[in-house]
Amino acid sequence: MPTLQIREAIREAMREEMVRDDKVFLMGEEVGHYQGAYKCSQGLLEQFGEKRVVDTPITETGFAGVGIGAAMCGLRPIIEFMTFNFSAVAFDQILNNAAKIHHMTGGQFSVPIVFRGPNAAAHMLGSTHSQAFDSFYAHIPGLKVVSVATPYDAKGLLKSAIRDPNPVIFFESELMYSVRGEVPEEEYLIPIGEADIKRPGDDVTLLCWGQSVPTALAAAELAQEHSDLSAEVIDLRTLRPLDTEAIIASVKKTNRVVIAEHGWPYGGVGAELVDRIQRLAFDWLDAPVARVCYDDIPFAYAENLEHLSIPQPEDVHAALRQVAYRD
Amino acid sequence: MATIVELPRLSDTMEEGVVAKWRVAVGDKVKRGQIIAEIETDKATMEFESFDSGYVLALVAEEGEALPLGAPIAVFGKEGEDPQAALASASSGGPAPAERAAAEAKADERAHAEAPEPSGDEAEASEAPAPDAAPKRESAPAAAERVSLDADSQRIPASPIARRLAREHDLELTAIAGSGPHGRVIKADVERAAAEGTAKRGAAASPAAGSAPGTLSTESDAWGRPYVSRPDEHVRLNQMRKAIARRMTQSKQEVPHYYLTLEVDMGRAIGFRADYNAAIAPAKISFNDLIVKAVARALREFPAVNVSFAGAEFIRRGDVHVGVAVAVDDGLIVPVIRFADQKSLESISSESRDLGGRARSKQLRPEEMSGGTFTVSNLGMFGIQEFAAVINPGEPGILAVGAIEPRAVVVDGQVAVRQRMTMTISADHRVTDGALAAQWLNLVKGYLENPLSMLADPK
Repeated sequence: MPTLQIREAIREAMREEMVRDDKVFLMGEEVGHYQGAYKCSQGLLEQFGEKRVVDTPITETGFAGVGIGAAMCGLRPIIEFMTFNFSAVAFDQILNNAAKIHHMTGGQFSVPIVFRGPNAAAHMLGSTHSQAFDSFYAHIPGLKVVSVATPYDAKGLLKSAIRDPNPVIFFESELMYSVRGEVPEEEYLIPIGEADIKRPGDDVTLLCWGQSVPTALAAAELAQEHSDLSAEVIDLRTLRPLDTEAIIASVKKTNRVVIAEHGWPYGGVGAELVDRIQRLAFDWLDAPVARVCYDDIPFAYAENLEHLSIPQPEDVHAALRQVAYRD
Repeated sequence: MATIVELPRLSDTMEEGVVAKWRVAVGDKVKRGQIIAEIETDKATMEFESFDSGYVLALVAEEGEALPLGAPIAVFGKEGEDPQAALASASSGGPAPAERAAAEAKADERAHAEAPEPSGDEAEASEAPAPDAAPKRESAPAAAERVSLDADSQRIPASPIARRLAREHDLELTAIAGSGPHGRVIKADVERAAAEGTAKRGAAASPAAGSAPGTLSTESDAWGRPYVSRPDEHVRLNQMRKAIARRMTQSKQEVPHYYLTLEVDMGRAIGFRADYNAAIAPAKISFNDLIVKAVARALREFPAVNVSFAGAEFIRRGDVHVGVAVAVDDGLIVPVIRFADQKSLESISSESRDLGGRARSKQLRPEEMSGGTFTVSNLGMFGIQEFAAVINPGEPGILAVGAIEPRAVVVDGQVAVRQRMTMTISADHRVTDGALAAQWLNLVKGYLENPLSMLADPK
């Protein structure tokens, strides 16, 4: 099986879908002639031409709106944000048009569009460019929200997102574009809404997605080695709709939960997870659910301070010990 | 297992309620959340949604009957199950509060019985109720906290799964020591109790069940978390404690005590005891037996101390009968080794063991606990270095013996490590004076420091 980087898996997903369906096109800043800010679209302009790989001005509101209009007219746009921090400028288009048109037109129009790009903190980008938008978009009914951590998941889920009749927010990570992993040559799709057990375990359920997947896997390794604790690492992969069933099944097995979350704590996706767990598995819990999140602050630029604000494997390990009453 | 449905609190001020109308009948299948009755509170008639599911086995409350909060109103369970068992265990399940308080009071007394002081009122002490075992620390984790989070109920902090497992295993949550934060009972605690077969529901409250459940205090710590306040308990004195209280008060009020303390080198006594025990194996003597022997010989040899105050006169005792204070479950008893000066170490030892054992099982005859002329009290086994005991009225003194332990002492101008023991006589100043008792105490010390001399015929 060939080994691809996440950026290559995303490129292959877009290429295959553009070949399969000529209504699919890619639009965003630097996606064409510059080959993509992170080289996700490398070679696509050459293959599909300027009508289907469209460089835009620095106008997120504009090209997000154009994309939504195109989707309403029957096309299947992929809108790339250079980072999701810039999607803040297009927030009104996503919140009030993409997510609502199907509902407000009584089903006469659909908006089959994908907004994709890197999300959450990268490395020393300062407070305005280090934000995680998971909870902003997962909050909105009418959107689907996907967050990927491996090349396999990235390709399978992006293809599903492009074919989905609804607007899909597709989170990638600047820090993880070069992560390698096996991707089958034959076509496959991963359904939106299914979590994946990245590491089976018995003692604690460790929920994660996107950037927190490698953090969680490293923490599970520490817990096994130093605390003789077996953590079951579940990559949610989709934040909306949530795979509640998979989460609850694991909680009923382990009785303890830690949520590793690359995002702010207040009102975060983890808070929604805690709510579901306490409602649906109350009688199975042996400890309060623990969350390990970003610090509740605008991020510092300084490398050392930024490091302190982001959940590290050691922090997650400490939380695993805590819920297992090891301290 | 059948579930009892209790009259719920449907308003904040509600104290009793009336089942105005049943919406289900016996034999109906009820789902959680289904409305099963209309309940009249002090404010309104409200619909009661069931917290449980199952078949209605019995409707206990009559329509129109006023009941207190928490009263059983119905029984749910499996089809065909007998509701009577559940009702019976609801009315008698676990000890009643008064019984429980009594059991806990007893446990509390037991904890305090570990530092015995000699008592002289043997006859009355013998009437005390008879717990069965020697005083010993309960092995269960006594530190397990019982924190109540809800002043109205006896709520035990427990994780949800611990509660569920306790219910499934039919275990009493209050009897399980919580190892989580703030004494929270967690899954592992319940699994351990289930595996060990402890904490069965309905079993008598064990000392491990700990103190009474507390309520939240109005005072709180720096983080605003309220302290847990537990109520005082009033424990009636049993006969033994009454006797101890009266006799010790009499002693301290009437007998002018003075105290002399001496340190004894026990090195030779240790060697002597080892040799002696080797010779009489499998029998063996204790250090306390050596001390009793030394005391008895010293009293015979120095009769000025073997006296008793009697108002206008004092009595020189003709015989030497040495009492040995024995800690028992809820107090202490002083059996007497009669004619101790004329008994061999071996017979002092076997008699002492026999009397001590029967004292703990409360099987001594009154005459075995009376007539002492002097008492020895030893707390060395608890690591006590030295203490001053209270004289049994009628006796001239009591010797308080501490632990034998290595101490740094000066020998020939050099610091050396020696096995030493401190003993303190409390003496009645009405019949002896310091110089007299000091001579006698030095005699005891001499015997202990040269134990072979105790084998010689008395002078």
